Amino acid sequence: MIGKKPGKVLLIPIVVVLLQLLPLNTAQAVPSFARQTGMPCNQCHTIFPELTPFGRIFKLGGYVLSKSGKQYEFPPPLAGMVQASYTGSKGLTSGVAPFDSTNRATDRMNLPQQLSLFYGGRIYDKIGAFVQGTYDGVSNKIFLDIADIRYSNNTIVWDKNLIYGLTLNNSPTAQDVWNTTPVWGFPFASSGVASTPAAGTIIDGALGQQVGGIGAYVFWNNLIYLEGTVYRTARDGITKPLGAGTTTEQVVDGAAPYWRLALEQRWKNHFFTIGTYGMQANIFPSGNRSGPTDRFTDIAFDAQYQYMGTMEPEHMQEHMHMDGEPMSKGGKHIITAHATWIHEDQDWKASFPLGNTANSSDFLNTFRMNLNYYYRSHLGDIGGSIAYFSTTGKTDNLLYSPDSVGGSRTGSPNSNGFILEADYLPWEKTKISLQYTLYNKFNGAHSNYDGFGRNASDNNTLYALVWLMF
Amino acid sequence: MKCNTWEIRKGKEEYLMKRVFWCAVVVMFLGAAPLLSESVEGDEYGKGETLYKNKCQFCHGMRGDGKGPAAEPLLGHPVDFTNSKFWQDDVQKKIEDTIKKGKEMMPAFDLTPDDIKAIIGYMSHTYKKAVQSSNQGRDEK
Repeated sequence: MIGKKPGKVLLIPIVVVLLQLLPLNTAQAVPSFARQTGMPCNQCHTIFPELTPFGRIFKLGGYVLSKSGKQYEFPPPLAGMVQASYTGSKGLTSGVAPFDSTNRATDRMNLPQQLSLFYGGRIYDKIGAFVQGTYDGVSNKIFLDIADIRYSNNTIVWDKNLIYGLTLNNSPTAQDVWNTTPVWGFPFASSGVASTPAAGTIIDGALGQQVGGIGAYVFWNNLIYLEGTVYRTARDGITKPLGAGTTTEQVVDGAAPYWRLALEQRWKNHFFTIGTYGMQANIFPSGNRSGPTDRFTDIAFDAQYQYMGTMEPEHMQEHMHMDGEPMSKGGKHIITAHATWIHEDQDWKASFPLGNTANSSDFLNTFRMNLNYYYRSHLGDIGGSIAYFSTTGKTDNLLYSPDSVGGSRTGSPNSNGFILEADYLPWEKTKISLQYTLYNKFNGAHSNYDGFGRNASDNNTLYALVWLMF
Repeated sequence: MKCNTWEIRKGKEEYLMKRVFWCAVVVMFLGAAPLLSESVEGDEYGKGETLYKNKCQFCHGMRGDGKGPAAEPLLGHPVDFTNSKFWQDDVQKKIEDTIKKGKEMMPAFDLTPDDIKAIIGYMSHTYKKAVQSSNQGRDEK
């Protein structure tokens, strides 16, 4: 009984937020953060969704920076998103999802791939939110996507600025402001139907929308960021609304602590960041809701470099008021580089006795790095990215068993490859991307990796995306 | 009725988690409470202070020195209200115009004339006076 009451209480503000979503005014059909602040999109984004240094501060500030003199936003800060995509890869079918009910999960065309409605901005005074409700064209389902509700304030400590706040969110790293961590890391969009490697760490998206957590953070002197968040399952109880529409496959037992430490240093228009993050979670084996659990311990390190370009004095005026809107003071040439390494220890205290794994313990190492270059031209923003990814780990013939397309002949979780991407933004709220993913190794082998004759290169994927924000 | 150790442990963790969650929610709203009371504070200075904290402080800083938390990431130099040069000329009109129309990286704000007057009042009382007394102290030395 005790557990049910708080759940209902928590539901009330969520229902209020959802009711506020109803009167969508198309005349205000601009991304809500830009509308709220009166700033252009590229003040916070290099190319969305990657954040600029100011975008990071805006997010840490609780999404509440506003040009309005009121304590709240009216009309409510709403925005929309449409993603339509084409995927080319061996084994996909020629239908159009979501209209093709028989082969939706393998359809090359996804129209839409995703359709989202955001509440993005201030709720009241120092409380703001980024809440995304999504219709997924491939699964043909509506669900609560990323949700991050914050309270934030700032003061001076030891003669320097201190931003402090609380975050309530539903995906570990959704609250993070550097684009090195899993939820907001590169690639910023990918195919919903292409085959992907079987192995992944818990912190790398496996708990997305399946947990709810509340945490506290501080950012002192634009230098040191420290955060601690505690998650619990969104299958039931007080955090259940945060997993609305998502089937909780990974049921966390009790509390799962998450930590984050990052150091950022600026030198002129260059921003350097190094950090560490991680979490520990006890998770029931698939299908179980009680009894012993498996323990996952993730420890990660990350680094980011961001060059915001330099603006020549003679170009300042020209760039300040293009189309009547002030533009970012960043230059025309922007470079960002990200790297992260995640190590996961897997203690199969429950799955091994059940015969689900061949080893009593395993491990995974995931490494990703990418380099992005963006050019702000008069014809729109142009960008290009190159990325390398790798997952290695202990061979486990039961965990990674032979199966057509998604299995492993060798029992090894090892995969690696490259991603090449080109982006063009003819307008700041429209992004056209062409992405090619090239696998060198997939689920443990270069050739016949699944034991059914499929090669790693058969999963190479061409992905074309049109991404509209409004 | 017997409970096994796993059930007892799970029950305790659930109870602890709920307490932590609700404590955090309470802290979140208690943190906002003083701000609510500030917003209804009647006097002009209080109104100006609240508006400055909510609209200006993020870039211009708590001390008005142009070194707020967002100043450095903006790659610009928000105006320093503690510099005596700022308070020369027709400063009232300058501030009013900048708030209404925006300037360089600063967007235009949708504030009422009364709000703008309150902000100018707070800035004058806080930063202009500080500049003046600092100059006075220097002259006396």
